Amino acid sequence: MSQDDSTIVKQLPNEEFLPQVVALINEGHTITLPLRGRSMRPFLEDNRDNALLKAVDKPEVGDAVLAELWKGHFVLHRIISIEGNKVTLRGDGNLNSDPECTLADIRAKAIGFYRKGSDRLDSTNGRKWRIYSWWWTRLYPIRRYLLFALYPHIPYWLKVESGKRKENRL
Amino acid sequence: MMTEKEDMKTKKGFKLRTVCGENIIVAEGIENVDFSRIISMNETSAYLWKNIQGIDFDENTLAGLLLEEYEVDEATARSDAKALVEKWLEAGIIE
Repeated sequence: MSQDDSTIVKQLPNEEFLPQVVALINEGHTITLPLRGRSMRPFLEDNRDNALLKAVDKPEVGDAVLAELWKGHFVLHRIISIEGNKVTLRGDGNLNSDPECTLADIRAKAIGFYRKGSDRLDSTNGRKWRIYSWWWTRLYPIRRYLLFALYPHIPYWLKVESGKRKENRL
Repeated sequence: MMTEKEDMKTKKGFKLRTVCGENIIVAEGIENVDFSRIISMNETSAYLWKNIQGIDFDENTLAGLLLEEYEVDEATARSDAKALVEKWLEAGIIE
């Protein structure tokens, strides 16, 4: 039981937890999964939103998918291209990592998101996601500046070099 | 006839799963499994939960189970059972 009356965030390591999630997905369940990380900003935020995941037959460009890049290492990113068996992924909040994987590495698709504590699903078939996706993927050439404007922070490496800078809360 | 302490049951839609070696109560429908609001249970709580599935129970049932399984005196078993029922009611997993 939780130790006190307040809720605490329980962290389970991905490499153990997500394979169980994938197993449930393959049994035909949908999964509500709390999201960590900033890779899908600005639509999704670290430690705030949940994804609704389901099994996927034929992933398509533009889908937000859960992929296992190597054993135990999972990401939830958008598919930006599919060439034959090769899939290129890019998190909406990422600039130039673009991991690649195969179609077989795609474990689930996000069919919607519960954002900002809401019980209402932002479906990936819905207007909000589609309009956002249309704009955000096309604005990739200036994504660096948009992300900086939305999330202004001094990068860690700059903070370390200049001892006089104030501690910045990311 | 109304008795003061009515029998309780576990609520439908809450399933105990073992995830990463932990006992976790997950809200589950026929299709969806919701990991966004989980309830973590220690061994004792999980043991009791498993043993009251599908039955009407009250604090005495839980105290009895504790006495069967653990080396504990009756007073402790009763107070632990009472505390647990309160927690479970608060968590919304029993009715």
